[in-house]
Amino acid sequence: MFPGAVTDREAAAYVIVGAPLDVSTTFQPGTRFGPDRVRLFARSFEDYDHHTGGHFSELGVHDDGDLHAWDDAEEYLTFLGGKLSDIRNEGALPILIGGEHTVSRAGVRACEPDVFVALDAHLDLRAEYDGNPSSHATVTHHALETADEAIILGARTGDETEWERASAEDVTVVEPNELSDWLASVRDQSLAIDGSVYLSVDIDAADPSVAPGTGTMEPFGLGAREMQAVVRTLAPACVGFDVVEVNDRDDGQAATLAGKLLRSFVYQHAADT
Amino acid sequence: MAKQQTEVRDLQEGSYVMIDETPCVINSYSTAKPGKHGSAKARVEGKGVFDERKRNFTQPVDAKVWVPIIDRKQGQVISLDGDDMQVMDLESYETFTMRVPDGLDPSPDDEIEYLEHESQRKVV
Repeated sequence: MFPGAVTDREAAAYVIVGAPLDVSTTFQPGTRFGPDRVRLFARSFEDYDHHTGGHFSELGVHDDGDLHAWDDAEEYLTFLGGKLSDIRNEGALPILIGGEHTVSRAGVRACEPDVFVALDAHLDLRAEYDGNPSSHATVTHHALETADEAIILGARTGDETEWERASAEDVTVVEPNELSDWLASVRDQSLAIDGSVYLSVDIDAADPSVAPGTGTMEPFGLGAREMQAVVRTLAPACVGFDVVEVNDRDDGQAATLAGKLLRSFVYQHAADT
Repeated sequence: MAKQQTEVRDLQEGSYVMIDETPCVINSYSTAKPGKHGSAKARVEGKGVFDERKRNFTQPVDAKVWVPIIDRKQGQVISLDGDDMQVMDLESYETFTMRVPDGLDPSPDDEIEYLEHESQRKVV
């Protein structure tokens, strides 16, 4: 159980689902251990958040455990999407812990946001990767089948075709050095995000020095505080949230950051909605 | 008896199942694999045959569920009265009143096809 997620399913405002899918990781595998790692390294956090005055254990969070993953990613996404739809239909907000980034597709399908926002080092705009249309490198491409718009925060790498795709009107890329200005514009409302948001946190948006336990590290990334600022700013507009791509190849840095961002999301969403 | 028992694993998209004691037609059926320590589960999503409300359940594939027996019948419109119509079943000659569904503009003597489950009826 995620620490502090002590509410019964029927009474929950937030339902956590672990999705340990680990089939298309292209470099260092291990995301199958992500949900357990995130739960483990969240044990040391205080229940109380002084920014919002909230106690995590009183915010209506339920941990529904993991949906055991198998090799057929498309079949897995169908079942997972149904499970997340049920959570939404019950009036709760689904929170996914990955697993590889592919699982976000199920979250987006279930939540049907207007805008898909990803904290991610990678554009993930490929239609397929190594012949696999279900690869973790295709998430934003697939999210745009549901959402009208994608905003990729902290992106700093992609192939030529992806950067071309990213120049289209329905995609906004905010590179790491542009993030603080972008956030300031959203906060002072000179830049509006229209409609509901699904926020997906790929932990590799962080610099590898901050979160080394992830499958495809990319230098020159975001700091932990920047990522928390994004989560806090966007949480009130969110209809779904996930944190993905944590593996077991570090001493808990990636999982600690992921767990804290998840909690930051819940504190802020609960305070503002 | 207007229902029979079967196992979740025998359901398929397009067939009927009782969800929350309501006859539903299945529009989505997906299964989760069990792994070494779990049990295979199926998620069934359906729509009420007569009320068109969305309902679903997730259960082990060997769980028992009820399948409603829904008859497809032929009837003839006898008369119209506002939003209602008198219909005669062409097999039993039983007559009954039905609400005229949206989009249907029947005239007396028109033949219709309808679904029947216990006392509920719906024009196809």
